Amino acid sequence: MDHSERLSEPKLIACWQQFCAGDKSAFGEITELNYAALYHYGTRFTSDRDLIKDCLQDIFLEIWEKRAALSYISAIKPYLFQSLRNNLVRRIRKQVNFFEIAENEILHEVSPESDWIINETDQLTAQRMKRALESLPKRQKEALYLKYYENLSYEEIALVMGLQRQAVANYLQYGIQKLREYWQHAIIFLIIIRETSWY
Amino acid sequence: MIKFSMNNYKTFEVKDWIEDNRFQSWVFHGKEDAFWQQFLHENPLQSAGMETAKEILLAVRGSQDTISGSEVKQQVAKILDAIPEDGRSQWWKGNWLRFAAMLLLMSGIGFGLYENKHYTALFQAIIAPIVENASGPEMVEVTNRSVDIKLVNLPDGSSVVLKRNARITYPVTFAKNKREVSLSGEAFFEVVKNPAQPFLVYAGSMVTKVKGTSFSISANDAEDEVKLVVKTGVVEVSAREQGRRSASSVSEKRILEANEQVTFNQKSRIMSTKMLDKPVLIGLPVEKQDFEFRRTPLNEVFASLEKTYGVTIRVNKAAISNCTLTAKLGDEPVLEKLEMICAVVNAKYESRNGVVIITSEGCEY
Repeated sequence: MDHSERLSEPKLIACWQQFCAGDKSAFGEITELNYAALYHYGTRFTSDRDLIKDCLQDIFLEIWEKRAALSYISAIKPYLFQSLRNNLVRRIRKQVNFFEIAENEILHEVSPESDWIINETDQLTAQRMKRALESLPKRQKEALYLKYYENLSYEEIALVMGLQRQAVANYLQYGIQKLREYWQHAIIFLIIIRETSWY
Repeated sequence: MIKFSMNNYKTFEVKDWIEDNRFQSWVFHGKEDAFWQQFLHENPLQSAGMETAKEILLAVRGSQDTISGSEVKQQVAKILDAIPEDGRSQWWKGNWLRFAAMLLLMSGIGFGLYENKHYTALFQAIIAPIVENASGPEMVEVTNRSVDIKLVNLPDGSSVVLKRNARITYPVTFAKNKREVSLSGEAFFEVVKNPAQPFLVYAGSMVTKVKGTSFSISANDAEDEVKLVVKTGVVEVSAREQGRRSASSVSEKRILEANEQVTFNQKSRIMSTKMLDKPVLIGLPVEKQDFEFRRTPLNEVFASLEKTYGVTIRVNKAAISNCTLTAKLGDEPVLEKLEMICAVVNAKYESRNGVVIITSEGCEY
């Protein structure tokens, strides 16, 4: 699903303003548009899906309650990500004292988009790359996720994660450096490109 | 207006690939797959770097623990339900039509009982904006009154080639969960792939549902039969109850694949299918065109697109006289085809008022 794509900014902002003025249908639209991306971000922190859904219901109801005071917000997506993060992290801290990173548990992932040049070699590279990424500190991983998967800017990531911009820049730089060391040492396999059907 | 420019993909390294938005949307969402397959095919030396970049991006994304569109809707409904009522009717859920009708009725009663024009005016002032909503989203209607074919680009980028007197109606912006258009007459469709937002064509009393494919429809008002032929992909056709549009009113369904034709008799409501040698229904060149080019001069490629789609392409012919194209294009809508061609030959295009303007610095050899 194409959930991390942004709605055209002017449209989203117009929708947000309607919602701040008390328009429930606009609120429903904002909720629906962002739900899947927020949910996926939530899976960075916990594998407890019901907890994520609970948190999402919480934050959206909270946002609805204080809608009149939110019309100043222009970076809507980062604001929502930040709200979810704060709420989720607070709840998880209550439960346990550390983040549970669910993604590491699943080793054999088959996603629809990974079937484009599938062969055993790829599976191997993918596994290694995954392991390389897993060796990174969780905040670096999170910053990389927000930058590359959600396409947020340094400033927006800083807002979401409650960091200084410089700290985000450092996290990303180290993260990329680490991955680069990995890919430079990795054996380059010759990839056989399958002539794929043209549908 | 769509603008597109080509990056220097041929000199890209892993670090460049992972930063490239277009590459990212291919890896994450499978966007423009045909373009990238073609690029890989023509630039085999780039494939290793691209593969590494892909693995990095997928590792960064992590496991794909996604939530389905229907569950999102369910969760959103739950959230909306949890909002305390503030006296207003929940018209965003679809009750607003009844609400509006009730107000109308009330205004009628008010008028009848008291004959008080002031009150009626007041009621009408309240009703007006609601009734405006009731007419649904803003619609666009295009009829091809010319002798030639006419190209219509839909809001999602899909293209429709209308034959003479054919008429298409579609909303200015499609609904989030579906793309609905109505057709009368004969037309050829190339639909942008988006499984999350099915594309529905209402033609006479037949409904056609596709996810991204190309096909022709013939639905002339004067004829009892509605016909459809599939060029590529898969479509689902069904009969629709008179005057209704909801999917729930749908009875029989037929799944059709390439080169299959369905004929639906609107009177007897009988559907029959048959296999064709070539997917030709309404005699348009685009129905059987395969868009395969081998070192074809670019000017010829554009001329062929102009003829096939009835679109006007403006380009400095002298500037691209050196350019040739080797590509196999599929059933992408015309704008997507132009985008791919431009990417390969390092050009830009703009679509303005139905005219495509191409700017290119030419090709070096």
